[in-house]
Amino acid sequence: MSAIAANPAPRRSRPWRAVVSGTGIVALIYVLLYALYAFWQPDALSVYTFTDLVNNSTPLALAAAGETLVVISRGFDLSVAGVVSLTNVLMAVYPLDGPGGALISLLMCCAIGALVGLINGILVAKLGLQTIAATLGTMIVCQGLALVILDAPGGMVADFVTYTLTDTLFGVVPIAGLFLVAAIVLWLAFRRTNTGIGLYAIGADEQSARFSGVAVSRVRIAAFVGAGILYGVAGFMLSAQTATGNPTAGTPFLMLTFAAVALGGTPLSGGRGSLVGSILGAGTLMLLQKVLFSGGVSSFYTGIFQGFVLVLAIVFGNAVARLLRKDEVR
Amino acid sequence: MPFEASSDRRGRQKLDRETVNTLLVFGLSIVLIVCSRFISPALGSWSQVLTVLILASFLVIMSFGQGLVILIGGLDLSIPALITLGGVLTTTWIGTADTGVWYMLPAILVICALVGAVSGIGIVWLKVPPFIMTMATSIVVASVALGYTSGTPRGGSPSALLWLMKSWFLGVPVVIYFTLAFILLGWLLQNFTALGRRLRALGTNRNAALIAGVSVNRLELVPYAISAACAGFVGMMLVGYSNGATLRMGDSYMLPSIAAVVIGGSSILGGSGTFIGTVGGAILLTTLGTMISAIGLSEGWRTIIEGAIIVGALLVLRGEFLTHIGNRMLTRGK
Repeated sequence: MSAIAANPAPRRSRPWRAVVSGTGIVALIYVLLYALYAFWQPDALSVYTFTDLVNNSTPLALAAAGETLVVISRGFDLSVAGVVSLTNVLMAVYPLDGPGGALISLLMCCAIGALVGLINGILVAKLGLQTIAATLGTMIVCQGLALVILDAPGGMVADFVTYTLTDTLFGVVPIAGLFLVAAIVLWLAFRRTNTGIGLYAIGADEQSARFSGVAVSRVRIAAFVGAGILYGVAGFMLSAQTATGNPTAGTPFLMLTFAAVALGGTPLSGGRGSLVGSILGAGTLMLLQKVLFSGGVSSFYTGIFQGFVLVLAIVFGNAVARLLRKDEVR
Repeated sequence: MPFEASSDRRGRQKLDRETVNTLLVFGLSIVLIVCSRFISPALGSWSQVLTVLILASFLVIMSFGQGLVILIGGLDLSIPALITLGGVLTTTWIGTADTGVWYMLPAILVICALVGAVSGIGIVWLKVPPFIMTMATSIVVASVALGYTSGTPRGGSPSALLWLMKSWFLGVPVVIYFTLAFILLGWLLQNFTALGRRLRALGTNRNAALIAGVSVNRLELVPYAISAACAGFVGMMLVGYSNGATLRMGDSYMLPSIAAVVIGGSSILGGSGTFIGTVGGAILLTTLGTMISAIGLSEGWRTIIEGAIIVGALLVLRGEFLTHIGNRMLTRGK
């Protein structure tokens, strides 16, 4: 007792911080929601249903992971909708079969994403445009390109991509899940690099970061390029799942990625947050759709729920951010 | 004293830039219309100019609302959904039977304005970023419209709207007189009323506006409500124009509404921009769109060109862009 009294400002222990952080809270929500789903839908605990759920969530989770990079650096990236549409259309119009073809397709998707990210980064960091305005422009251009390549839904994604990437490894591990694991591992490594630390620094306070020697424009460009690559992979995984092309495939991603990021505890004001939270946030959103469906809500009205969840996620994210700030001050 | 002098000069310089930009946009539209003669002899004729102006009137009215939202530093992505809402409610509640058209049309506009106010409330009090809040509203509204009509809106246009959109007076369509009146009112509202000045103050510096005694929170709702009502009215105009409503009738208007404002010289950060500039932007965009479809380019190319124009306009209007390029050239030359 006296030890505590002698030290009036004890820093919270690590486990407590993990629970109270956005990631901990969204993980808890996911588990609770899954329990509800299992209650309504007894086969929810089977490998098949779980694989299906992971397959459904992966494109959004990757896109949200990319968006997180930009949001942490205090920015918004709307180009996600354009890149996902563009890569999806390319996958459907120029299918390359076999493992080699799949690899080339994946690299192509990454390259497109990286290029769009680079353009965003240059527009924002070098030419001084607002993130939302610059990425709005690139989103529109990418959507236009997608329409030029394929003007109506159609085309066929290569069979190898469609079948392999929605399958399971050894009958238990969903292959799509491995992409998420890879993204998480890369993120955990990245956030320890100078660029990773710089990302948080410029999100918290760009001016002080600049004075502390962070190469602000380089970090910003890196964030957009990394985000673009993740959108490219998201488009790749979406194509594997839908097996067809749609020039407006990316449009729903615009809203859902921001909802996933906010739900994952990354405040939209930047400087905080985690990619892992966003991936869980995306999983929660997709799970919610399943739960609503099994709860018997008409598909006409799912938009209403999505709108409300989006706003609630942001309000929730703001509240978590305030909580964390208070915790730090204490 | 030197401080006063410099602030005075800055004010004049900015005014000049806005005027120059407006003249540029209008001039470019006229040049485009004249040049379009070379593409196809049908273009550039008087009747074709009138068609462009009718199409531009939709864009002028919705981008007045978008312009006010951008003036205070926001962004309204719910315009397409509210166009659809206005149109669908008009055909299903009033329809060809003209039931209570004189009070139902204003009532529908009030409903639209309330939806916009809800977006505003989310932005002001729940601290949701504007583009996300309006996106959420738009998804909810689109979903309600879909559920309410079960996928296919019924009914046609009330006769009053057909009159507005289809009839002519002294060789000019009625809707063009209406749009001119709207432009005049919008210009007066933005430049000569307390509301317009307060909105500009809010967009320029929120804290300064607060200190100057503007009730910023309540004021911030207003542009979103106006924008929603404008979008709802465009929905009604489209109903009169095509004698019916569809659930996707607003979809193609989101980008043009933003593009018209940005090309018209408003800063996307808020605080600057004129409605006359926006009108010029709307006419320029519509002319360009008509030409693109006359050349036979697909929807995709049209979208790409629009996107490129937005980015280009943003870059040029940053002001220091040209000096930046100039400095670059000088240092390279050394």
